[in-house]
Amino acid sequence: MIQPQTRLNVADNSGARELMCIRIIGTSNRRYAHIGDVIVAVIKEAIPNSPLEKSEVIRAVIVRTCKELKRNNGMKIRYDDNAAVVIDQEGNPKGTRIFGAIARELRQLNFTKIVSLAPEVL
Amino acid sequence: MRSLIGALVRRQTLGSSSVTARLQSSGRVGASFANCGNENHRFCSSASNCPRCSKNHFLRAFHHFPSGSPRPSTSELKSGSLAKFGGSGISSSLNLSPWSVLGTSFPSRGISTAGSSDAPTSQDSSIPFDDVPPRIKFKRMDKTARNIMQILNREAVEEVRTQREVPDIRPGYIVQLKVEVPENKRRLSTVKGIVIARRNAGINTTFRIRRQVAGVGVESLFMLYSPNIKEVKILDKKKVRRAKLYYLREKMNALSK
Repeated sequence: MIQPQTRLNVADNSGARELMCIRIIGTSNRRYAHIGDVIVAVIKEAIPNSPLEKSEVIRAVIVRTCKELKRNNGMKIRYDDNAAVVIDQEGNPKGTRIFGAIARELRQLNFTKIVSLAPEVL
Repeated sequence: MRSLIGALVRRQTLGSSSVTARLQSSGRVGASFANCGNENHRFCSSASNCPRCSKNHFLRAFHHFPSGSPRPSTSELKSGSLAKFGGSGISSSLNLSPWSVLGTSFPSRGISTAGSSDAPTSQDSSIPFDDVPPRIKFKRMDKTARNIMQILNREAVEEVRTQREVPDIRPGYIVQLKVEVPENKRRLSTVKGIVIARRNAGINTTFRIRRQVAGVGVESLFMLYSPNIKEVKILDKKKVRRAKLYYLREKMNALSK
């Protein structure tokens, strides 16, 4: 349940460390974003000497939330933190490595590159 | 669920119609079951409960059921027991279930104990009337309908338990599961972690497993009786003094003693 002003960790090596959500892409007036939703975020903290800088507005896809993700077979998955992966306009990740586990639902949402780079797909 | 209630109602009406048909064909009952044994209620219908005297008309009909008349073979066993009751004059507080009359073959949901045992068939018509028959209890259908969900739940759980061995999982156990994922058809994924909660809800019994995956803590909730869980292995049992171990979310290595 990510909403504007939510701080998220960054789960890749694109150069950003922490993002703050500004807006949720999709239907208008959408309250919360979950795993698999694209958000507009501003970089609050970045690694020095990286292509991304602080206070840069970028897009990201949410990959982990503290709110549980429900599956049709009754299974629920809940992570310990909120995290996102920085992407470009087409949906390709800007970084080259992904850290942490990724939920299987991202594959159905056409983020196949992220899923293939993930160390563990839950 | 609605279809089950419809089936219950249908079976009740079926039972009543077949009972009255059989009794009428035996020829000895006649008008004796047209009244409910009370002079004031001459006009009660035979196939339903009389609203005034609030007695179930099935009982009255069976009181007059002749013991020596030929019985149809399907309900032979039930009719034998009913004849015994007619002879020993048991009071009308005994409610006979219409399902038992039909001699149905579907699994008895605890409706009567006559269907499950073989004893009544062996003592079919050779018992003298002063011999006490084994007590056969019949459950009232309206009372059964109240806890039908409980009965269905229990049945579903037993069905899964007979197919698959489901061990006892409690909070504090370190377990390893083999879960089948529909997308990953070729292999089973293993999930290893500590059980931090268990919620008992019949067939929807769930348990939560907490584990570290690639540096991130992940909690997963599984259904205990899910067919996707292929194997559960208990690796270790930690001593915990709580049913829900949610305090582990803040702590690292709290239980590694």
